[in-house]
Amino acid sequence: MERRVFRAMGTEIELLVDADGADAALEAAEQEFHRLESLLSRFRADSQLSRLNRDGVVEAGHDLLRVVALSLDGRERTGGRFDPTVHDALVAAGYDRTFDEISSTARSDTWLPAAAGGDVTIDGERIQLEPGVRLDLGGIGKGYAAERAAELLATAGPCLVNAGGDIALRDGSWPVGVDDALTLELSNCGLATSGRDRRHWRRGERELHHLIDPSTGEPSDSDVLHVTVVASDAVEAEIAAKGLFLAGAERACAEADAAGTPAVIVTGDGRRLLAGGIA
Amino acid sequence: MTSHTGRLYATAFGLVVFFLAWALVAARPWSTAAADPRLKTLAAREARLRSEARLVNKVVAQRWVLYRRELRVRSAQIASAKARAAQLAVVSSVAAPAAGSVRVVTLPPLTITRTS
Repeated sequence: MERRVFRAMGTEIELLVDADGADAALEAAEQEFHRLESLLSRFRADSQLSRLNRDGVVEAGHDLLRVVALSLDGRERTGGRFDPTVHDALVAAGYDRTFDEISSTARSDTWLPAAAGGDVTIDGERIQLEPGVRLDLGGIGKGYAAERAAELLATAGPCLVNAGGDIALRDGSWPVGVDDALTLELSNCGLATSGRDRRHWRRGERELHHLIDPSTGEPSDSDVLHVTVVASDAVEAEIAAKGLFLAGAERACAEADAAGTPAVIVTGDGRRLLAGGIA
Repeated sequence: MTSHTGRLYATAFGLVVFFLAWALVAARPWSTAAADPRLKTLAAREARLRSEARLVNKVVAQRWVLYRRELRVRSAQIASAKARAAQLAVVSSVAAPAAGSVRVVTLPPLTITRTS
């Protein structure tokens, strides 16, 4: 088993491959993360995503096209709970720089929520935003990058890619810890965790976090602390996790059960609920 | 006359032998040409491209296998969904495509997930 850990996309990336002599594949997978970060980060002024947000239109490369298409598909399937157009709402709430820089930044106590939603059209290789619409692809970008990196790493052997909680797998069975007391054995699937327990900050009396409710433009007041979802891949898991987080604990359990989507839901008051076939 | 023709042939033959010898010497078959650094660079680049092409071919092959597998799963899901569609009153808004397999175990985890 070979392991490599590095930082990219504002989080820690872990690569595991069940093979010896996998240096070339590990290197290719790491470089894939850096390449995708340079395209999809909203914190890099020269990224394709920043150009799109600045100009409202861009002739996009394959990866940006794919991630935007996946996120729009996710928006439709979750009835708008997952929505990539929350960029301005995130910025208004204070998530306007990398998370490492937020805690050290002085801010006013008051802020005005920004609306989410708006048209995003894809025409061939051209992506066009309705005026005033900007995209954030942070979460889904990590899931997508994890899948692409896993694809490269799998040329060496069975592998797992953990992009700060978004996990992509190729072959083999992998025990993954959800918390101190729960380990799930996964194979041929993806997993993602969304929650307000890590990326949060304070403005005045209010504790804010990065999971915006598109219907209000403000950080969600869901009673869920964090939710872990298992799906066919890390992108699907990321979309479903956001949707279940915003649904609230009770409804999230019902929806996960109805959809057969394995989910572990931890509430703000410390309850852990298993749904979607996990027992 | 005979002697004149003979001299002509001899002269022509001598010229042919002379030029052949010249070409042979000009080719300098005994000398070892110093390797051109540009050739070395090209060879290295070719090797790198071959290596990348092999990697790309592997990825494409994996994608094809994955695509065929997912296509089978999707086809089965579509057939199953069509059969159930009339009975379903509500379609969950968060239905994610089915996962491979997941079960709770008591093994020590190889990695942990956390809020991304």
